[in-house]
Amino acid sequence: MFHKPFKLKIALYKMKIVFTPDWFLGKDVLIDAFSFLILLTLFIFAYKSYKLSKNKNSLYLGIGFLLIAFGELSTILTKLVLYYDTTFTQTVGQMIVTYHIVRSTDILFNIGFFLHKLFTLLGLYALYRVAAKERPSKEILLGLYFLLALSIFGSMFYYVFHLTTLIILILIICAYYNIYKKNKLLNTKILIIAFVLLALSHSTFLFSRLPSLYVVGQIIQLISYVIFLSLIIVIWKNGKKKKQNKHNI
Amino acid sequence: MLAVILEKSGRIKPTHLMYKANLSHNQMKLYLSELIKNGLVENFDNSGKRMIRITKKGVDFYSKYGQMREFEKTFGI
Repeated sequence: MFHKPFKLKIALYKMKIVFTPDWFLGKDVLIDAFSFLILLTLFIFAYKSYKLSKNKNSLYLGIGFLLIAFGELSTILTKLVLYYDTTFTQTVGQMIVTYHIVRSTDILFNIGFFLHKLFTLLGLYALYRVAAKERPSKEILLGLYFLLALSIFGSMFYYVFHLTTLIILILIICAYYNIYKKNKLLNTKILIIAFVLLALSHSTFLFSRLPSLYVVGQIIQLISYVIFLSLIIVIWKNGKKKKQNKHNI
Repeated sequence: MLAVILEKSGRIKPTHLMYKANLSHNQMKLYLSELIKNGLVENFDNSGKRMIRITKKGVDFYSKYGQMREFEKTFGI
């Protein structure tokens, strides 16, 4: 008798927070996990680059990727609990106990998705500042304050987060386009394509009240991270190529 | 210096290295001792002539350095 209202509440959360259609449950977590691994690899590259050259911009770039990776991790953990922990309550018969579980998962979802938003926005902001070659200034504090506020309000209006992410991504794309105009490197072109697709995925998420568009957004995000992976492979292979062509020790 | 040694199939005469890397004698002595200390290059005797060769560690370092430079160029940093 008491189970029904609880189940309804969970279903409501799935719709409001994640918008995932039932058949896509779990698959989006795999996409997030893949994104997390790619972001972690980019962080490792940037950190190794910093260790070698002591260029602080490499470090800031790495921190940016690491923050976005933490954002992905928060969403993975939260979604895992959201998708797979609902059956636990079916064994609980007491209404009062069930109520407490709902309250604790409420807090977990809110904290999890809040951290996802905060880390993602902070990470993208760091990437933007490095790409645009912005010098450290007091304005960073103002930026951080706005991102914190947006992360909090993002819980009430889901599109605020995606809109903000989209705007920062557009700024990042513009900054990298300026870099591409100077260096004309294929790698930078690949990087721009990856960011454009990421921006496209967030513009799709703006309309993710339609479950099919949520799926489309996730697939575009997956393609974007596959392109990031191909960029990592190109960078890694180019270093190897030098080794093989010039020397055979 | 590592790039110059690698261009010459991994082994080079010290004087050639100095000219090819565009270094003064003092600069070369300083940099070479640093490279030897870190195990990236080593001296060896080739029919009574002193030569310098890159080690496996040196080749790996150069490869990683190439990757990191490629990474930095990609991101314009």
